[in-house]
Amino acid sequence: MPTDTKRVRGPEVSQSPSLFDCRPSVVPPSHGARADGRQRDQVDVRPVFVRCGLVSQAKGSAYIEAGDTKLLCSVYGPRETERKDETDMKCGRLTTDMRFAPFSCPERGSWIQGSQDKNFSLMLQESLQPALCLHKYPRSQIEVNVMVLENSGSVQAHAITCASLALADAGIEMYDLVLGCSIRQDGSSYVVDPTYSEESNWSSSEHQGGLTVAFLPSLNQVSGLQSDGEMAEETLTAGIRTCIEGCYKLYPVIQQALVKAVRRAQPPPPES
Amino acid sequence: MAAGFKTAEPLEYHMSFLKENCRPDGRELSEFRTTTLNIGSISTADGSALVKLGSTTVICGIKAELANPTVEAPGKGYIVPNVDLPPLCSSRFRPGPPGEQAQASSQFIADVIESSEIIKPEDLCIDRGKLCWVLYCDIMCLDYDGNILDACIIALLAALKNTRLPKVTVNKATCKPEIDLKERHELPVHKHPVGTSFCIFQDSILIVDPTADEESLSTSRLSVVTDEEERLCSLHKPGGTSLSAEKLQTCINRATARQREIQKLIEKVLNSVKAAQ
Amino acid sequence: MATVKVSEAEKVYILHGIRDDLRVDGRSCEDYRHMEVETDVVSNTDGSARVSLGHTAVLVGIKAEIGKPRPLVPDEGYLEFFVDCSANATPEFEGRGGEELGIELSNTLYRVFNNKNSIDLKGLCISAGEHCWVLYVDVLLLQCDGNLYDAISVAIKAALFNTKIPRVHMSSDDEGGKEVELSDDPFDCVRLSVENVPCIVTLCKVGHRHVVDATLQEKACSVASLIIAVTHRGTVTCVKKVGGGSLDPESIFEMTEAGKRVGKALHAPLMKLLQQEESLGKKREKVGFLG
Repeated sequence: MPTDTKRVRGPEVSQSPSLFDCRPSVVPPSHGARADGRQRDQVDVRPVFVRCGLVSQAKGSAYIEAGDTKLLCSVYGPRETERKDETDMKCGRLTTDMRFAPFSCPERGSWIQGSQDKNFSLMLQESLQPALCLHKYPRSQIEVNVMVLENSGSVQAHAITCASLALADAGIEMYDLVLGCSIRQDGSSYVVDPTYSEESNWSSSEHQGGLTVAFLPSLNQVSGLQSDGEMAEETLTAGIRTCIEGCYKLYPVIQQALVKAVRRAQPPPPES
Repeated sequence: MAAGFKTAEPLEYHMSFLKENCRPDGRELSEFRTTTLNIGSISTADGSALVKLGSTTVICGIKAELANPTVEAPGKGYIVPNVDLPPLCSSRFRPGPPGEQAQASSQFIADVIESSEIIKPEDLCIDRGKLCWVLYCDIMCLDYDGNILDACIIALLAALKNTRLPKVTVNKATCKPEIDLKERHELPVHKHPVGTSFCIFQDSILIVDPTADEESLSTSRLSVVTDEEERLCSLHKPGGTSLSAEKLQTCINRATARQREIQKLIEKVLNSVKAAQ
Repeated sequence: MATVKVSEAEKVYILHGIRDDLRVDGRSCEDYRHMEVETDVVSNTDGSARVSLGHTAVLVGIKAEIGKPRPLVPDEGYLEFFVDCSANATPEFEGRGGEELGIELSNTLYRVFNNKNSIDLKGLCISAGEHCWVLYVDVLLLQCDGNLYDAISVAIKAALFNTKIPRVHMSSDDEGGKEVELSDDPFDCVRLSVENVPCIVTLCKVGHRHVVDATLQEKACSVASLIIAVTHRGTVTCVKKVGGGSLDPESIFEMTEAGKRVGKALHAPLMKLLQQEESLGKKREKVGFLG
């Protein structure tokens, strides 16, 4: 392994204490109420706290907290693009970077971006792009940076919501907000907005899967869709509907946060 | 008008304030920005703290892992501090491996930890020569508006005070560790080093707790780290214009006063966190 | 991805054709192009397959190596995917150009196989917590002419079918140490069950309809595609929207339904073909890439 000379290095190998846990791990129940008291098989999303404009240096920023999941997003730009392709002359470029803080997951992550993070960044980009009026920003790029401070499940979905809010806060012209929602299918029942332990503990039953949807509420368009695991086609269709319903639940909260942010930003004094 | 002046002649703009013994954000020369602290908000970390110094925001999360101690120091654990300045916190940072400033900050924090003895590496030993703790102290800037070193040290100190390590027993028969993640104990924090950073304008004007703008316009910088016994843990002056001995003494005095304020603030927040539990 | 320039008039022509279920090359909306599958094409792999679909050509090689199981799942082996976008396929892949696409493709493959039934991972375990088989699935793109996902997934399924893993057993010596012993007979091999390995169907939304197995020209007329990984039973193991556009929920539902139908129908002839080829054994005439 090449040594990383740009960071303070620790020992070559270290192991997470959870590997030696002497207590048996608690598998979340696959029926009845969920560990945090929410209802199964219902569009019961965690209450979210959102706020715009926390990063003073950024053009726009947003912070979202859903249960213990905490994300911060900042938007820089539009500024001159670094890459000069022909396509950039007509249309702006959206770049996304989503990273997990090393302490954000139960197992410590690495500073170096893994391919998993790139996957998250890519879905974020493909989900946001349809909502942006990129043709209004020729020759420029808009950068979206998302930092996951604490991962307590449904990170991708909340990152999408948070990033679209930050883009709106930055004053980037958009067709619509983008809202994200995840569900986890567990046999015949499902949980909306799953927590980390609900996402990672697979009980033995068949047909387990995860689904994340990015949705433009006022245009009624799905801009991002990703699933894994095993699902019957009918379950998948029902899952997408459930996610869309979850997005609609989130919509007024996000709208309110945006209105609040606009009110707080005082109108510039008239030029005299 | 003022905005235009600020953009066109930033140094003139700042100097016109400094001449009147005040600063563009309304502070006095030796006044810190409001410092707020949030301790233990990240439940996935073994210890965490978020510090806001004006709009500069820094978060520190500590993760403990198990490792074998080195042959040279069989009775010592590891403390691995790293400062990250992600592109999220300011447009001046690019994605990719840590830049010069992040590397220098990490090294500075590592030096402070070593010279101040904030944590004794011996306390991290579990089984001499066989097993010890590694404390990964990951410090991340979320909003860069100057003076991150001070913010980093406060975040680190508060996060260490918040750290609870799980109980480990080494199974005699298998020689494998057994860990009880529910039963946790505090980490002994021996010293409370706190940093105070200054900027020097035109060889003479000293200001404390510089913003990002002030940092980029100043001719020299100085960071002083002291602990509760008024011992000097670290003094960092990377080049720039020179500084007289009396001025340095004033800086150190300011730093010791700041140390008391911050230690009090950390205790207060820790107590309120405990009371809430 | 290789880009093709399509003029407005061409676009209208393609769009109108698809509206009437007749595509430029004469196919209807849910038809595949001519597909060729050949297994056992690279002798120094444990399993390999070559698939060509129209002008798209991919080669998949599978190497089985003994590794350490992942700490979180000590009783399972695992698969590693790597997609190499060779500059042979299209000039855009030169240098680091293909890297991003390669990561995207391999990440999608991880998702497609991220379930319990596609491959019997427990069967890849040799001794829990110590040794397991790691299957390195290397995908090489030889030529890009649209619809990479489908071609890759068919090639992977064929290569997995072709994979022969040497039989091993654990032996313990006097001091209680364990050792992995390889069977003496080189033909004593374990085969994988590929029955549940999914195939990917890419549906490209063009105008108000969607097409299966889009060519590059058709892709240029579309804003978004949906990829669906379907098993022979019709279980969906992955869906993903790709491309910069958005889709309305109703058309997603139509597309998943079509994807399931097309995907289910793809499995039976593929398995039949693979078994037929297998039964020919050594007598089979090798075609290779230039055949």
